[in-house]
Amino acid sequence: MMQRAQPWLGTLIGISLPAPLPGQDGQASAAIDAAFAAVALVHRHMSFHDPASDVAIINRLLPYQSAMVHPETAAVLRCALLLEDASNGLFNIACGDLLAAWGYLPAGENFAFGQQRSEPLSRHIITIDANGCVTRLRPGLIDLGGIAKGHAVDLAVAALRTAGVTTACVNAGGDLRAFGVCDFPVVVRNPRAPTRVGLTLQLRDQALATSACYFSTRRVDGITRSALINGIDGMPVTGQRSASVQAPTCMLADGLTKVVIATGDTSHSLLARFSATALLL
Amino acid sequence: MEFKFYAARPLLLAAATLSAGLAGPVFATQYLTLEQAQHVLYPDATTFRDAPLQLTSEQMQQVEKLSGLASRSVNWRVFSAYKDNQLLGHVVVDDVIGKYELISYVVALSPQAVVQQIEILSYRESHGFEIRSPAWRKQFVGKTAQAGLRVGDGVANISGATLSCTHVTDGVRRIAAVVQVALKA
Repeated sequence: MMQRAQPWLGTLIGISLPAPLPGQDGQASAAIDAAFAAVALVHRHMSFHDPASDVAIINRLLPYQSAMVHPETAAVLRCALLLEDASNGLFNIACGDLLAAWGYLPAGENFAFGQQRSEPLSRHIITIDANGCVTRLRPGLIDLGGIAKGHAVDLAVAALRTAGVTTACVNAGGDLRAFGVCDFPVVVRNPRAPTRVGLTLQLRDQALATSACYFSTRRVDGITRSALINGIDGMPVTGQRSASVQAPTCMLADGLTKVVIATGDTSHSLLARFSATALLL
Repeated sequence: MEFKFYAARPLLLAAATLSAGLAGPVFATQYLTLEQAQHVLYPDATTFRDAPLQLTSEQMQQVEKLSGLASRSVNWRVFSAYKDNQLLGHVVVDDVIGKYELISYVVALSPQAVVQQIEILSYRESHGFEIRSPAWRKQFVGKTAQAGLRVGDGVANISGATLSCTHVTDGVRRIAAVVQVALKA
């Protein structure tokens, strides 16, 4: 068993290889380095905080201005816009204003955020073309915090495979993906007592992501807030539930947890469409 | 930031670990030993020299000014990596404690005090995450997959709401300031 972890994307990213790679000792280490480099790429391009990131560049665009983004940012934006359409706006990356106004994201001096109260979020605030050129259509700040971690896990998995790893598990602060012929034990936190076990299960050749608000719920101006926002009405998702989604990719699993936690519907039609299943605890 | 984190002094860390141990089994993952981490950070190094740091009060003030954080500790565990007699960089060892977790980590910095890499040594939940109970563990013991792979003892992933690691990133910023003030070439 070889395990390493590094801090990226505001959380810990853990990588586990259950068996040594054939060949030289350094090969597993180099594979893990390549996987962390893939995570670092997502961190660099998709951070809300970093003024040089693609997300910050998009957030500074004026309506009808355009900018080219990195192909991986483009991949995440396309998936996010697909989920936005498929969920009728329940999943919506235009939640940056609210998260900044509520103190979950840094406001920054350059951001004159608009929406501060719970009201329906703007839809389709950006569009992206086939070349990765993003155009702003409406005001508002985007945040990829609800989906980019999942893509970082998928890229790390791809990097491990390219480096010759056949079995591994990558965990980005609770959003994880396993591949190969090994069952990886996973503990889902009990949402009512998050330092205790809610459920244990085995993950093999699939991704699992969980969303809940037990770590982010707090009172702001006398109102209960959380870092999870219902993209249709702009209300914070509160309550003691957690939603876990199993899907073929971690990006889909990560994004779909937001739909399941907001609706409480584990048989939501989107799940079958993306070959995913869900459970609520 | 969701929780107020504060940094642990080694003694406090030991005490917290002990009390968690007494309260029952805890969730813990050991990623790397210090020695393994040194070689991951500086694979070309031929020697690691123990180079503990003791900051003067003036240096501590400089650290606070540079990092914007309380400088916390006078003493720092540092190892300097050499290839033959050429200094490759420094490895600084630190622990932080959050509301739920205790994290030991190392930071590699160049002789010019630029952060090159961060590796987590161990992660431990401090409030009796009872998943290493014998009953839980039993279901995995000796479990082998087709290729003869085995999941290690006590090794599990946790899925749940993301736990912020702001205290680690603050710790790294503080260490960068410490090395800049005390060790920069």
